[in-house]
Amino acid sequence: MLQDHEIPPCEDVFMLDVMTETVPPVSHGRLHYVRLGVRGAMSVPLLVLIASYIGFGGLLQGVGFPLLPGMLSTVLIWALPAQVILIGGLAAGTALPAIALAVGLSSIRLLPMVVALAPFVRGREQSTWRELWASHYVAMTMWVEGMRLLPKVPVEGRLTYTLAMGTTYVAVSTLATWIGFALAGSLPPAFGAGLLFLTPASFTILMVRGANTPLDWMALGFGLASAPLVAGLGGGMDLMIGGVGGGTLAYALARLMKRRAA
Amino acid sequence: MIYDNVLIASLIVIVVGFLPTEVWRWLAIFAGRRVEAGSELFLWIKAVATALLAAVVGRLVFMPTGALVGVPLSLRLASVVAGVLAFLLIKRSVLAGVVAAQVVLLGGIWWLGLH
Repeated sequence: MLQDHEIPPCEDVFMLDVMTETVPPVSHGRLHYVRLGVRGAMSVPLLVLIASYIGFGGLLQGVGFPLLPGMLSTVLIWALPAQVILIGGLAAGTALPAIALAVGLSSIRLLPMVVALAPFVRGREQSTWRELWASHYVAMTMWVEGMRLLPKVPVEGRLTYTLAMGTTYVAVSTLATWIGFALAGSLPPAFGAGLLFLTPASFTILMVRGANTPLDWMALGFGLASAPLVAGLGGGMDLMIGGVGGGTLAYALARLMKRRAA
Repeated sequence: MIYDNVLIASLIVIVVGFLPTEVWRWLAIFAGRRVEAGSELFLWIKAVATALLAAVVGRLVFMPTGALVGVPLSLRLASVVAGVLAFLLIKRSVLAGVVAAQVVLLGGIWWLGLH
């Protein structure tokens, strides 16, 4: 199960092209896409999530935050940077409104992610309620994997697929939070460092895999390179400058290149 | 601590953590209705989302916390570069890249005697 997951092509749908027009479109039930979605979640990014949330569970234990509300934060917040800011801020004794502001700033990045993923998730279904539910699952992993896997899923099943994949991610991560809480303190420091570094290393690789166009590459490069330049601005402003500034610069340069080529 | 009580801690998670995060997802669903895949606006939004994610990852590499603070920046960068190279050279396997990054990091920690 460690290989990259590939969705088998849906023969029924492709067969339609060669069949006569009189054949009614083949439609799978929701259960079919639930199964595909759960299977889509079984990949390397899931292992990374497990490791990351074991690390988060360790953090909870370290600062004396109770386990159940900690697991609740994985289910409800479902964005590791926001969770780390919340717990870290509480442990440092930061005022609650200041923590809420920092959490909000760090989570603005979810807005463009959801907007970019939504056209792929939506498919033909018009259910605002289920769309809102699906949007809750959008964070780093869901975004990277959704952008990669959803275009291969038949349009009719994309929303169900997303919900199944997201539910699997959250359920497993919540369990991992608990395991990390229980394990904390018993790991040698070197492995603690390895565990903490799993997230940046794997997300860099996942982003390299997802990059196709010059625009993707420039956005990726500018975002990474912005980190040491805007360090010390803190409070979430650094991410805004790196993200909005870096992304806009990449977009402008890509447009310029396209116009030159034309 | 203020969060010792399970109910108070849960309330803090909901009001200070969940709401400031979830509001952006809801906004995106309602405001993003008219954005079509492939349009110029979509391209810009995707570039911003990619750069934001890269900036978060960059911060974890350049300004780490916890057990990573004692690991030199050069070793952290070497680990990331090794991961990307292994991914590109070994059949674009994410697992190969992650393993290579970990081997370089843990090997470096052992080599430098940091453990």
